[in-house]
Amino acid sequence: MRKYLTVFQLSFQNEFTYRLNFILWRVRNVLRILMTYFLWNMVYTQNSMAFGFSKEQMMTYVFMVLIFMSFVVAAPSIENIGNEISNGDLSNFLVKPINYLKYWLVRDWASKLLNTIFVFFEVGLLWFVFKPQLVLPPNIAFGFISILVLILAALIYYLFTKLAVFTAFWAPENTWGMMFLILVLLEVLSGAIFPLDVLPSRMFNILQFTPFPYLVYFPVAIWIGKLDLMFAIRVLIQSLVWVGILYILVIKLWHRGLKEYSAAGR
Amino acid sequence: MKEFKVIKIYFTNALQQSLASPIVFWMFFVSKLLRYGLFLFFIYLMTVQIKSLGGYTPTQMLVFYLCFNVVDTIGQMLFREVYRFRPLIISGGFDMVLVKPLSPLVRVLLGGPDFIDLGILFVILTILIASLFSLGPSLGMVVGFLILIVNSLLISAAFHILVLTLGVLTTSVDHLIMVYRDMTSLVRVPVDFYTQPLRFLITFIIPLGVMYTFPAKALMGLLSVQTMAISFIAGIIVLIASVKIWNSSLKHYQSASS
Repeated sequence: MRKYLTVFQLSFQNEFTYRLNFILWRVRNVLRILMTYFLWNMVYTQNSMAFGFSKEQMMTYVFMVLIFMSFVVAAPSIENIGNEISNGDLSNFLVKPINYLKYWLVRDWASKLLNTIFVFFEVGLLWFVFKPQLVLPPNIAFGFISILVLILAALIYYLFTKLAVFTAFWAPENTWGMMFLILVLLEVLSGAIFPLDVLPSRMFNILQFTPFPYLVYFPVAIWIGKLDLMFAIRVLIQSLVWVGILYILVIKLWHRGLKEYSAAGR
Repeated sequence: MKEFKVIKIYFTNALQQSLASPIVFWMFFVSKLLRYGLFLFFIYLMTVQIKSLGGYTPTQMLVFYLCFNVVDTIGQMLFREVYRFRPLIISGGFDMVLVKPLSPLVRVLLGGPDFIDLGILFVILTILIASLFSLGPSLGMVVGFLILIVNSLLISAAFHILVLTLGVLTTSVDHLIMVYRDMTSLVRVPVDFYTQPLRFLITFIIPLGVMYTFPAKALMGLLSVQTMAISFIAGIIVLIASVKIWNSSLKHYQSASS
């Protein structure tokens, strides 16, 4: 456990190495919210309700997406694992008394912690500039379930993206292509840009059989009280099921990949 | 003339590279199509249900988004090499570019076009032309649109040159180019959606509105000839200024790690 704690501390410090990059990363985070904020702002100049959301609920949705996304998608493992497999650097980890998947999970969580700390400053700044009216969860149960679903979302994201990066064991040149596909689907189908209520109900129902809405839409929708308590509990259980399914798939793929791994480039 | 010959070789090499890895080509092609298609679908669903968004009809909203993508895709296709500039700078490999008897700017700006975006461009243009049937623009509007697209590309080139310049000065290009991309994504919706002073900032100071919203407005007949002329002059000034800044930044290149 102590070695993972050390990895966590080092990763946290490592994030500050390239300070200009770090500042620009924060600027990007703020820029991302502006389009959706102003788009919805325009919608509510002519309507008091849209897609079942009041203006306050929608503005809270936009702000909570920024916070929750910062937590879920902060994952340096995405950019590094594929390269380490492709160029043979994975060998360095395989001979060490450390679990490679846990190692990157810990590094991701260090990044998530840092990202989450800073996003509160950014949201505070945006709130100060725009002063939108925001809503709180209807009661503490919704807030609690939302946070649990959010933690599971981070795990789902970690496991799901590993399925894509493990392509590197078989076809290293295709890894980034697979990852790009996943990131594109995530960007649009997770509810990060538009709440999924915009979709026709049949499409929305089909989407629930994929991991995407569990990453952003459901945690935020539970937070703002868009779903009833029973549905929220159902989402929590479904998220757990997704973590279980993806965990089994990732472990199987990892072991198969290791049999294929030839430390090419070493 | 020499530059054009070399650019032709760059383009041929890039095309051959794309064709050499068909799986990667198709993966990116499908992913990008999905990205544009799904966003388009969401915008359409929204505007159909809201009826009029900021005074624009669903078709007009689609045209705004498609025009954004035309400019964005051509820019990404032509200036893709900018995304690969950092390794060249931090390894000192840029020295090898500087000693060649060719403008280094041509090499780092146009040295690696992305032909996946060319396929995407065909698809976007097809949908744009199809959606224009319901708008019915006049010949003058179409000419205005084409002039402003050229102007957008001049400004896009200027932005990419500024990113390269900052790359020479700071060695940080990766996030800078992504900041540029995130800024441009603000104008996937018309610039009119933003309140002041942000609207003024992204229209005139950082001329994203001129780049992305103005061509669509010209196509809808919502832009005066004077505004078009001023935009075009501004585009040329921005490009000339960016080249001058680039040239002076080269004097500060430190050839780190070489």
